[in-house]
Amino acid sequence: MTSTRQLAKSAGFGSVVGVALMLTAFTLIDFSGWWTARTISNVVHFSSILALIAMGQALVIISKEIDLSVGSVYGLTGIAFITFEHSLGVPGAVIAALAIAAVCGLLQGLAVVRGGLPSMIVTLGGLFTFRGIIYVWTGGSVRNFSEAARENWLTKLFGGEVFGIEAAVLWMLLMLAILSVVLKFTRFGNHLLATGGASDSAESRGVRIDRVKIITFVMCSVMAGFAGIVTLADQPQTHVTIGDLLELEAISAAVIGGCLLSGGRGSLIGAVLGAFIVTSFRYELIALGAPSSWFITFVGVVLIVAIIFNQKLARWAGHNV
Amino acid sequence: MSDAHPLIQVKNLDLYFGSFHALKDVSVDFHAGELVGLVGDNGAGKTTLIRVLCGIHKPSKGEVYFDGELVTEFHPKLAIDQGIETIQQSVGLCDNLSIARNFYLGREPMKKIVGIPFLDFKQMRSMSTKVIRAFGLRDNVSADDEVERLSGGERQSVKIGRAVEFKNRVVIMDEPTNHLSVREREHVNELAVQLKEQGLLVIYITHDIFQVHKLADRVVIMENGEKIEDASTDSMTAEQLEEVIRQGGRLVEKMGS
Repeated sequence: MTSTRQLAKSAGFGSVVGVALMLTAFTLIDFSGWWTARTISNVVHFSSILALIAMGQALVIISKEIDLSVGSVYGLTGIAFITFEHSLGVPGAVIAALAIAAVCGLLQGLAVVRGGLPSMIVTLGGLFTFRGIIYVWTGGSVRNFSEAARENWLTKLFGGEVFGIEAAVLWMLLMLAILSVVLKFTRFGNHLLATGGASDSAESRGVRIDRVKIITFVMCSVMAGFAGIVTLADQPQTHVTIGDLLELEAISAAVIGGCLLSGGRGSLIGAVLGAFIVTSFRYELIALGAPSSWFITFVGVVLIVAIIFNQKLARWAGHNV
Repeated sequence: MSDAHPLIQVKNLDLYFGSFHALKDVSVDFHAGELVGLVGDNGAGKTTLIRVLCGIHKPSKGEVYFDGELVTEFHPKLAIDQGIETIQQSVGLCDNLSIARNFYLGREPMKKIVGIPFLDFKQMRSMSTKVIRAFGLRDNVSADDEVERLSGGERQSVKIGRAVEFKNRVVIMDEPTNHLSVREREHVNELAVQLKEQGLLVIYITHDIFQVHKLADRVVIMENGEKIEDASTDSMTAEQLEEVIRQGGRLVEKMGS
């Protein structure tokens, strides 16, 4: 009992339970449909891409802010990657596209911190602004990679396979490892947790909470942009709606994964598992023949159940939330 | 008691929050090796004044000198870097972090592993354990426990222990004995005197004029954002000072006229 309670203290615990429940349910309902190499490979691939965005989102939520613009930043960065390739080549396009993502995060972070504005409104503005830029920039047209660009080593590194494992999965695991270490074992991580937990106290101890928040917004946008690059390196074709509603899936994944919107608590592994849960539901619903529009309803229900569950779990473990 | 130039000199300080005039033309000197009681009723401006000194508020008008130098930038980080430690009432600890992490928040010890700086948990743990044991926290509380587990007195002990451990030049205590048991209170007061004797400037904020009169070399009384009294504890008794507070400065004006 005590050890379970100890385990429940970590924010990602709820999502582990969630994944176990979900896999049991899918096995019972649809064993032969779910446990196929094709389904699992697809689910893991798209979970990984969503997880990249959800991890960035988790960092922002831990800082007690929110970023609604990640879907648009994901799309804008991906499109920049494809478009710049013609003039800059693949490596140059990666750098330029990520720089655009970083600028998106920087501008929003500055508006939140310097302007003292609620991040929900600032990033809602970002969501519309960046999506608008996508429409104007592409004129609604579809863009493609040249054959040479598809064969470029860097394109393969982001979108191909390594030892039979999809690159997206490996990138996700790498980022999970790096960001987890940053969050738990570095000074910046300590300041981020403190800023989200009690910003007044953090500031009184000399933490530059404004810088912490701006850096977190930049990290979140770069993660979303990186996910866009990984997606398009795999399937180098753009469309204007790329990344639509992805912000809601990313926030859901982070929250299902145990990030509390009250700040200061969250788990990156939880965000990854949350992304897995959200993506799995999408696939399983389609597999079961439900109309694809049901997916959003399900995410909504899972999200609400998860919030209630995670909060009860946190209180049971002894947190004041 | 006091050397030639004051360690902290506040000159004609005004502070507005919007249209609210929180500090009105406050001038006061603080010297190293001095324990100054800062006294006044709720809303008198005591906490606001020390929030300027520890870098949270920037004055609207007037000057602050630290060690003879004009202070031009106000941020808690700069104050801490200058050696000003503040124990505040409502802030200072993050509930979601462990005692060890709170202890070193803002001045984390680092250890390089393959050239990358990581938090030195070993040092954070050993130092904060030493301090919480010295302050008599419950035996089943460890440095890895989150602060949310602690009682009011224990939280205060962590804050004071931290300030004492990192003592530099100034320790500001804002109502340090609130929520404390009698024994804990005596311990804190002893510490305040010890720090002073080690040559630090200690600013001790309280409602309790009788308690601080016993400890302090000098008492500064504030009322409505103004300084209404600044007297050494040798020159005025606690009763006289209490009367000043009760009269809200009117006595002083009368005596002056």
